Formats: sequence, C-alpha cells, structure tokens
Amino acid sequence: MPISMPAKLSAAAAALIALIVLPQLTSGYVVYLANLMLVYIILAIGLNILIGETGQFGLAHVAFYGIGIYTTAILTSRYGVPFPVAVIAGMLLAGAIGFLLGAVSFRMRDIYLALSTFAFGEAMQWVFKSWDAVTNGPNGMRIPQASLFGFRITNDHDAYYVVLAVAIVTVLVTILLMQSRLGRAFRAVRESEPAALALGVNVRRTKVIAFTLSAVYAGLAGGIFASFSSFIHPDSLGFTTTILVLTMIVVGGLGSIAGAVMGALILGLIQELLRQAPSYQEIIYGVILILFMMYAPKGVIGALKARFSRSGSAAK
Amino acid sequence: MTVTPFLSIKNLTVKFGGLTAVNDFSMDVMPGAIHALIGPNGAGKSTVFNCISRYYQPASGDILFRGQSLMRTPAHGTAGLGIARTFQNLELFNGISVLENVMVGIDAALARDGKRLSPRQMRSEAEAILERTGLANYRDEQADALDFGHQKLLELSRALAVKPQLLLLDEPAAGLRNREIAALDKLLVDLARKEGLTVILVEHVMQLVMSISDRITVLSFGQKIAEGLPAEVRQNQQVIEAYLGREGAAA
Amino acid sequence: MDWQLIWLFLQQGVASGLVTGSIYALLAVAIVIIFKTTDAPNFAAGELFMAAAYVALYLLVFLALPFIAVVPLSLGVAFIAAALFYRIVLQKIGSSAAVTVNVVIATLGLSFVLKGAVRKTGVGDVPRSFPSIFGNDTITIGQAVLTLQDIGILALAVVSMTIFFLFFNFTRTGRAMRAVGMNPKAAVLVGINLRRTRMLIWGLSGLLSSLAALLIAPKILMTADMGSVVILGFAAAIIGGFTSLPGAVLGGLIIGIAENLVGLFISSRAISVAPFVAIMLVLVLRPQGLLGGKVAVKKV
Repeated sequence: MPISMPAKLSAAAAALIALIVLPQLTSGYVVYLANLMLVYIILAIGLNILIGETGQFGLAHVAFYGIGIYTTAILTSRYGVPFPVAVIAGMLLAGAIGFLLGAVSFRMRDIYLALSTFAFGEAMQWVFKSWDAVTNGPNGMRIPQASLFGFRITNDHDAYYVVLAVAIVTVLVTILLMQSRLGRAFRAVRESEPAALALGVNVRRTKVIAFTLSAVYAGLAGGIFASFSSFIHPDSLGFTTTILVLTMIVVGGLGSIAGAVMGALILGLIQELLRQAPSYQEIIYGVILILFMMYAPKGVIGALKARFSRSGSAAK
Repeated sequence: MTVTPFLSIKNLTVKFGGLTAVNDFSMDVMPGAIHALIGPNGAGKSTVFNCISRYYQPASGDILFRGQSLMRTPAHGTAGLGIARTFQNLELFNGISVLENVMVGIDAALARDGKRLSPRQMRSEAEAILERTGLANYRDEQADALDFGHQKLLELSRALAVKPQLLLLDEPAAGLRNREIAALDKLLVDLARKEGLTVILVEHVMQLVMSISDRITVLSFGQKIAEGLPAEVRQNQQVIEAYLGREGAAA
Repeated sequence: MDWQLIWLFLQQGVASGLVTGSIYALLAVAIVIIFKTTDAPNFAAGELFMAAAYVALYLLVFLALPFIAVVPLSLGVAFIAAALFYRIVLQKIGSSAAVTVNVVIATLGLSFVLKGAVRKTGVGDVPRSFPSIFGNDTITIGQAVLTLQDIGILALAVVSMTIFFLFFNFTRTGRAMRAVGMNPKAAVLVGINLRRTRMLIWGLSGLLSSLAALLIAPKILMTADMGSVVILGFAAAIIGGFTSLPGAVLGGLIIGIAENLVGLFISSRAISVAPFVAIMLVLVLRPQGLLGGKVAVKKV
C-alpha cells in the first residue's frame, strides 16, 4: 500500500519542527555535523540525478564540489564578492565544466564513462593540489567567514538555518523536477536509449543536461560547505569522497530522492562513528557496498518498498 | 487519380559490415491503410523499421514521409513528425511504472503540439490509454513485472500515447492469447478505420495479418518478393517457398 | 637540449619504458580478460595487485619463507581470492548488462576492503621495500642502462604473457574462456560451464595481477596506495580497445614508454597527471579505444 498523503505531510511537518528546534537542544559539534549532513544530502541528490536517474556513471562529482568550495572561498576572500553571489558563481562554474565534461563524454557508456570521469576527477584534484597561486596548493586554504545580507555567519549555529533552508529548497525543487518531463526523459534514457529516441527524447542533450545539473548541485553543496567551514584541503577532494557519496545513493536506493537523503544521513553517521579509525572506515564502506549490491541492490528504499508491497498483496 | 503515399520507401539498402540486410527495397504505404510487412525471420523487416524511425542510417535510398524525406531528421525527431513505433524484442522503460512509461509517450505528443498538462490531467490521460489497451489494472506495476504479452501491449500503449499518424508495430501479437489477439485486431481496425491512423505491421500471426491488412509486402533475405492484397499474397508461389522452403512448397 | 642528449634520453626512455610497460601490460591483460568474458570492469584490479604484493612480503619477510615457496603461494592466494569474489559476490549479483553498475560498485567495494585490510594489519602503515632476487648490477644496451632486475622483470613478464597466450589459444580451458568472451549463449549451447569458466577467469586475472606485483614490488616502495598504478593498466587497456589482448599488451608498452619519456623530457610532476589526461583524451577522441573497432549500435 502506498503511504497516504496526509500521513506523508504530517511526517514531513514533524521532521521539519525537529530540524528547526535541533540547534536549541544540542551542542555546537552536533550542529556542525548536521550542517555537514545537509551538505551531503545536496551532494547525494545531485549525484543521484546523474547515476540514479539518468544511469550515467559519472565519478567526478567531488571535482565539482571542490570547484564550488574554492570558487566561493576565493571570490569572497580575495575579491570581496558577497557570499550568495559567490555561491551562485561556484554553481555556474561547476555547471559550465560539467556541461563540457558531459558534452565530450555523451558517446561513452558504462565503463568508459566511469573511467574518463574518474580520470577527470583525479586530474581536478591534481589541479587543486598544484595550482598554488589560486588554491594555495597542497597546504589547503582558509575559508573566510561568510556573511549573508549583512548578517555574519560566525559559527555553526548561525549557518545552520541557511544550510537547512537551502537543503530543503533543493530537495523540493528536485522532487518537482523529477516528476516533470525532464525527469521522465532522464529515466527514459537510463532504461532504453532506442525507445527514448523513438519517443522524441534527445538522448544526447538529456545526458548533457544531467551532467550539468549534477555538477550544479555539487557546486551548490561546495558553496554551502564554505558557509560554515573554515578550511579546505585538497586531500579531502579525492576519489574516496566520490565513493562516499556513491555509497550514500547506493545504500539509500539509486533513483530515489528519499533514498539519497536517507543514504546521506546513514553514511554521514557511520563516517562520524568511524572518525577515530580511518582504516576501518575503508573496510566498512567496502563491505557496505558489496553487501548492498548482493542483498539489496535497490537500497533501503527499494527494500522498504518491496516489504510494503508484499504485505499489501498479502492483505488482499 | 493518384493518391500520394503516406510513407514511401525508395530503393532502401542497409548494410552491416559486409552483410546486406536490406537490398534495394521500395514500398508505398497509403494513408489510413494497415499495411503488413511479412517475411521469414531475418528477412530485414525490423531493419526497415529501424530506418524509418531513423535509428539506422541506410547505405542508400530514401524514405519520404508525407512527401518529405526523413533522411535529415534525427532519431529523436520522428516522434515530432507523428511517427511512433514498438520494438520486436521490447524496449520498455523497465525500472519505472506502467503509467510512467505511457507518460513518456504523452510527453512526446505534448512537445509536438506545444501543450502542457497538469500532473492530474497527465495521469488521467495515461489511464485512458491503458484502459483502451486493457492494461488499466496494471498501471502501478513496474514495467518489467508484466508478462511478455502485456509488455507488448504496454509498448503499443506507449506508442499510442504519442498520438501518431503513422504507427510501426513490430510483432504486437507475440505472446498474446487468442482472446487478446482478437482485442488487438479490433483495436487496430478501429485506429485505422475510425481515427485514420496509418499502420505498418510486422507480424508472424497470420490470422491477424490476413484479417486486418489492406495490403501486404513480403520480404525475404532483404528483398521484396511479393506485394498485393492478402488474397493475392496468400496464393503467391514465391511467398510459399520463402516460408516453407522449396521442398515444403513442392510437397 | 642537444641532439646527443635527446638520443640518449630516447634510448633510456624506451628501455625503461619497456620494463614498466610490461607490468602495465600484465595489469591490462588482467583487466581485459575479465571485461571480455563477463562484461564487467574490475575496478579492484589495483587493490588485488597491492594486496598480492603484501601477501608476498608477509610470507617472505615475516614468515621468512624461501622465494621458491613464496611465489606459488602468493599466486595461489591471489587466484583463489579473486575466484572466490566472483563465486560469492558477483554470481549473486548476476552478469546481465542491466547490472553493470552494480558490478562496478561491488568491485569498488572490494578495492576499499582490500586497501582498508592492508592498512589495518599495520604492515601497510609505513612504506616498505621488497627484497629482490636479482642483483643490482647494470648492463648497457646501446646507451641505455638497465639493472639486472629490470632485465629480469621484462624477461619474466614476456615469458608469462607468452605462456598465458598459449594457454588462452591452445588449451581446452583457454578456448572455453574465449568462447564465453565471444558469445556466452553459444558457449553454453556447446556445453561450456559459464559460471565455472568465469570463476576461473577471475582467478586467472587475480593471478596475473599478483604476478605483476611480485615482479614490480622490488623496484618500488610499497604502500597501501600502490594499487593506484592500475590506472595505467586501465589506460593501456583503453588504448588497446578494451577487448583486445594484443591491444592491451601494446597499450601497456606504449604507456610505459610514454611515461618514462614524459618523466625525462617534461617533468616528474607532470607524470602524476599525465595518465588521467591521456585517458580522457583517448576516450573523447575515440570512445572505442585507439585499436578498438567501431562503436556498436545497439541492436533493437
């Protein structure tokens, strides 16, 4: 049985209230974590558009995240650009580069696409590490405090409502987008290119749009990260982080927005629990990926759906 | 008085590597007709469909749709001209619901007509199409949960959602039970006679082909070997040989 | 730079390039045989390579076993580990085109498990060096200087690839593997056990990775991140068109030589980004690889 609309709405309202009162109840560190998870949610939703919805195996997501962070940090610190403008600039730059990457790789499938986007991600990390004049190279870069319409964001509490608002708007906009004609075109391309073509879907353009959009989300996540974080190091912008985001959408359920949100929360928590033991972190991500592919390839959401429909049909 | 053909295939030749799949094939389809394209397996029928829908690029020849060449139309442009198709080996959007499969077709029609629908109108339009093809009860199933015959019907529903003027059906009756074939028979006749749709039908179920076709073209090894009214084609010696083999025909 | 120096660099670059290139060729073959026969890329190839090197190091240094025992043991462990991964994990996931993404994710999972496991043992915490059986004497070919170890690596890599090709082309099992690569359905019809053959191929691929590891380990510093060298194996495979074994070998040698020339003529800093740029350029210009055929249009 599908869950009824009023039930969904009241659950959403309850969650919203909990999210709004959260900073009043907890310490600064928990709020920082909450901010980070909201950023993960935006990252995961963006990657899900490309991999989950459109079926294009892009592995360069973190490169666009990095572009968002660096653009925002550099524009605000060196050129005095207002924070919101800098974030939008980061989104646009990430989107433009994502567009180019999509435009040159639309002919590649599966493994080739995975390899070329992986290579692009590694090359971008190399740029972050080596372009000393712009990114301060391997030493990392300080991110200045953001200010929003004259209001200075000095701590995690200040940032929280901004981050939360952006994340909620992102989720809502994405839900609408995925129910639109474009969303259906994404899924059509994922499921069958010949059929998509026969139904008037411009497959090439749709793939490029998915690449661009996904990069814009990552750029946004980067800009938002810059609002509450004070430092960025290129080591954190490597393949491991892409795999972390990939694990989020796989665990949640590829092709589902709720799944991406859930996966971001689950993996964000696991990452936090494993903070003290980075080597366990790798093993556990690995095991999670393998086990989910073996026993729940459609993720938590898929497993829940299967369970609901089974109990529903048993009731008939 | 001559009527311009709705679709005119002129000297179509398709090659895969060194192999000639379709050789110098021509065929005219009249508006509002149900035109069957039959022949043994591997004769090149689906290849002809793939050329009309611009999925394959022929080595030579031309295809005119309402007098205009299709050769400059991209593969994603045929739906906009009013051409819809189904696939022999199923190309459904497996991972999404039956209803959403049809909605992708409706999207194509809306884009062509420059219209928009609210989500509610969209849903009711998709449901109306599924009602017509007998799949209404399955609307919330995932497409790959249907059995083969129903998947075939879903492909037909999705093509109808495009509101096409020309419908290319590749073995729509495969996997259907007799009762369902009868319903399909009636549906196709309705579409052609009442709504003026032109249908090209590739089909092995001869009972269906003979009962509804206005005209039949027979392909064998990429060549046209016969064309005419159902009664004429049925009597044609070459057609019998192509289907049964030389010995079978002599026996 | 005068002509004499350029000529010297060229000779040295080609000679050293052939040595490292033969390792990339082994890795590329390990990647390609899996892709050819199961349609799945093995993104764990690099970590299999890395883990195999550590297994050998452990046997040799920590258990003090003799070389003669270490080599077959390490190869055997890699063979069994890779075959088991196929048997236990990938068979469960399935191997249709629809699940390629799932298979890729599972192999990424394996790569993380292996890397984490090596770090966890503590052996991988500090860079280590692997003892060599060849001396460090040098010989000069033309004007290029190679160590005996280099010659040994190249010779053993060539010999093992030759054995592999003979096996692949002239034995019953090898022919079964090729048949599975060309047309799995037809292979089943002529009585080939698909699962067993694919499992063997995974095992063989693991064995090849571990062979590459044994050969190159004495030449490099071992760390848990050394598997990243596999990107050069992927680059080699891509150049070779991803489904051609001779192409993979040729690709490996090209990459090896190019890498050494970039290092000699441009800068060692550029080496670290060159393979990625090369992979992207090749795929953008020729999505089917340099030596690959035309991009196939999906049959409908």
